[in-house]
Amino acid sequence: MESATILRPDVFRLREESVPAPAVFPLGLGQQGVHEVCETHFGDLAALCGFALSAAQLRPGTVAWISQRALGLDHGRVFQSGFGALRHSPPDLLHIRTTKQVEALWALEEALRSTAVGLVVAEIEPVDFTASRRLTLASSRHGVPAILLLPYSSEGSTAAAARWRVSPRPSAPNRFDPRAPGNPRWRAVLERSRTAPYMAGRAFDLELDDETLSLSVVSGLAVDSPDASPVPSPAISLRA
Amino acid sequence: MLVETGAHGLRVASANRAAQAEGVSDGLRFTDAKARCPALVSEDIDRAGDARALADLGHWMIRFSPHVAVDGLDGLMIETTGCAHLYGGEPAMLERVEMLLRRHDIPVRMASTPGAASALARAKPGTCLKPGTEMAGLRDLPVSALRLSEAARLLLRRFGLGRIGQLYGIERGSLARRFRSAEMADAVLLRLDQALGRRVEPLSPLRPVPAHAVRLACPEPIGTREAIELGLERLAHTLCDDLANRGEGARGFTLLAFRSDGEVSGTEITLARPGRSVKHVLRLFREKIDRIDPGFGVDCLVLEAHRTGPMETGATALSGDLAPSDTDPVMLAALADRITAKLGEGSVCVTRFAQSHLPERADRLQAFDGALPEPQLETVPGRVRPIRLLSCPEPIEVLAEVPEGPPQRFIWRRVARRVTRADGPERISPEWWRHTSAPETATTPQGSRRKWLAPKLDPRADADLIQTIKSDLEMMPETVCLKTLPRARDYYRVEDEEGRRYWLFRKGLYGDGRGGPPEWYVHGLFS
Repeated sequence: MESATILRPDVFRLREESVPAPAVFPLGLGQQGVHEVCETHFGDLAALCGFALSAAQLRPGTVAWISQRALGLDHGRVFQSGFGALRHSPPDLLHIRTTKQVEALWALEEALRSTAVGLVVAEIEPVDFTASRRLTLASSRHGVPAILLLPYSSEGSTAAAARWRVSPRPSAPNRFDPRAPGNPRWRAVLERSRTAPYMAGRAFDLELDDETLSLSVVSGLAVDSPDASPVPSPAISLRA
Repeated sequence: MLVETGAHGLRVASANRAAQAEGVSDGLRFTDAKARCPALVSEDIDRAGDARALADLGHWMIRFSPHVAVDGLDGLMIETTGCAHLYGGEPAMLERVEMLLRRHDIPVRMASTPGAASALARAKPGTCLKPGTEMAGLRDLPVSALRLSEAARLLLRRFGLGRIGQLYGIERGSLARRFRSAEMADAVLLRLDQALGRRVEPLSPLRPVPAHAVRLACPEPIGTREAIELGLERLAHTLCDDLANRGEGARGFTLLAFRSDGEVSGTEITLARPGRSVKHVLRLFREKIDRIDPGFGVDCLVLEAHRTGPMETGATALSGDLAPSDTDPVMLAALADRITAKLGEGSVCVTRFAQSHLPERADRLQAFDGALPEPQLETVPGRVRPIRLLSCPEPIEVLAEVPEGPPQRFIWRRVARRVTRADGPERISPEWWRHTSAPETATTPQGSRRKWLAPKLDPRADADLIQTIKSDLEMMPETVCLKTLPRARDYYRVEDEEGRRYWLFRKGLYGDGRGGPPEWYVHGLFS
């Protein structure tokens, strides 16, 4: 267990953790700072959940999952029984259901400040720069990371550490049954990044192995990548 | 004078003093009353409004004691056990209650039994009756003060028993014999015993009596938010100390502000797990204190603790390395409390896993009660579940249907999607134990006894019976009994051209006799 599990100000800490996120995939997603994960088209929220849960390097602790009712009507609610297909040891979830966006933002900040949870995930309507700056400050001050799952309409400047744009891709061929869907695949484009600005614009075609539950980069599908240069493989660390 | 429409026309329900002086009494017919006093002004009685006003007044009287009950149509009972010393004794308390109620002109009496207090309040502008003196105190009161029915009162009057004291000397058996029915005699004896303290009379309080309550009387009525906050702070310290002395915590706190104009305004907070931290309680109340309407001023504040229970306390871990688990339950509950206080009940949930095959029943959201859910039950290999589940399955239009397989194309939310690959089915049968409505029984006597449920039938010996049963079964309208049963679901995992993965199901099978052709639904979305 890491010493970073309890970050209360009145608790003695064994060592200060101020290690900057390494500039490798996934750039500290779920570990440090606020990350935005946006839909490419309407209805990609399920793919966002899959990408965020499988790519994030989760710290131990409960995950607060904040949702807005209006988005839940469109995309359903997050279904915890499905977590087993994405992670080996699914985290405990505390669902926080809100009606308005301001309430969701308030709950998000409150969860960041309480430091009782290890990660905050929020399905929320597009947030403006001020809100994202505020969340980034709260996150860095209290050391709790946050992932915002945003609709396709979120654009413009942001104070978040990174903005990913994720879309589902046709799944990998199934070895046992060619007519059945195989391992899920996603395309994640890093639109903006504060920690590694030179990586912005790079596209990652990812595949989740359903046996080892590890994420790997697929090379064959990256033909229509916006970045002409091929992805340099040493810069990508893969979670085993 | 107030009138009420009864079984025999208009009757006087309640007459004021001026009318009573003219000879109009309660229960008189309206025409008789009008004859006795032609200048009578009358109005319809509003029983519902009266009951509401009485309950409001009762809530206001909670400032004296947490145990207040409504007595009949026009009375309030205050249980003052353990409260009188706060006001300097029973006579002083009585005086104080009288002073507060002077505006309403309500008679107040005090006695050791509810029955005696009720009798005194209705009949005699008396004082405080000491325990053991009920017999003497009630001797001269009319029997009508005993909360008896109209018929019983009439009968007692005919016997010439006008005063309660006259009932003492009569042998109980002979008193009971004189009444027409045993119930009426029992009622009279019960009321007499209750008044004299021979039988216990339980009171049903207006609102649940709190486990702990502290009160703060303000010398001057207060009306500002700051003043209420200050008062709340003092109350919270006292209450939490009280709870700490008992080693308990509470899951609900209620703040009641008693206004000087006879109204009560209140607000409450709930905690996910029992707590008694002053700081936490004050922080939760801070969001809600605006809901208290001070009106013309608040002269008494009461803070109550509800749903108390033992509280686990222990030293917090020095470091995360030494903590027993990754999550601090106290801090998590504190976060949930703050969110619940601001966003309302039910906004913080956890998943409770249940042993069911139906996905919407296996994994349900329930309000957070301080404990994280048990780990998921063991997973069945090969069973896949989506990452998002729609709140209710949405019907889809299937364009190219294969009889025993997933659709080739379907329309969901007005968008046509072409299925490229599919996997399935996973059949989930309905839970028959949840649908207990028995199939309709046949009309014949043998059928109604449902002999076919007999475990063993000899083909030769019971040939007649078997024949009857067969004909019964054929006669049974199968659509009636089968249509009511739920249908099985066949779940498919399909992927469309864009790479989106859906969880479809077909409700029903072809030719299962449970309604028309099967219907298709979307139930979830895969990542």
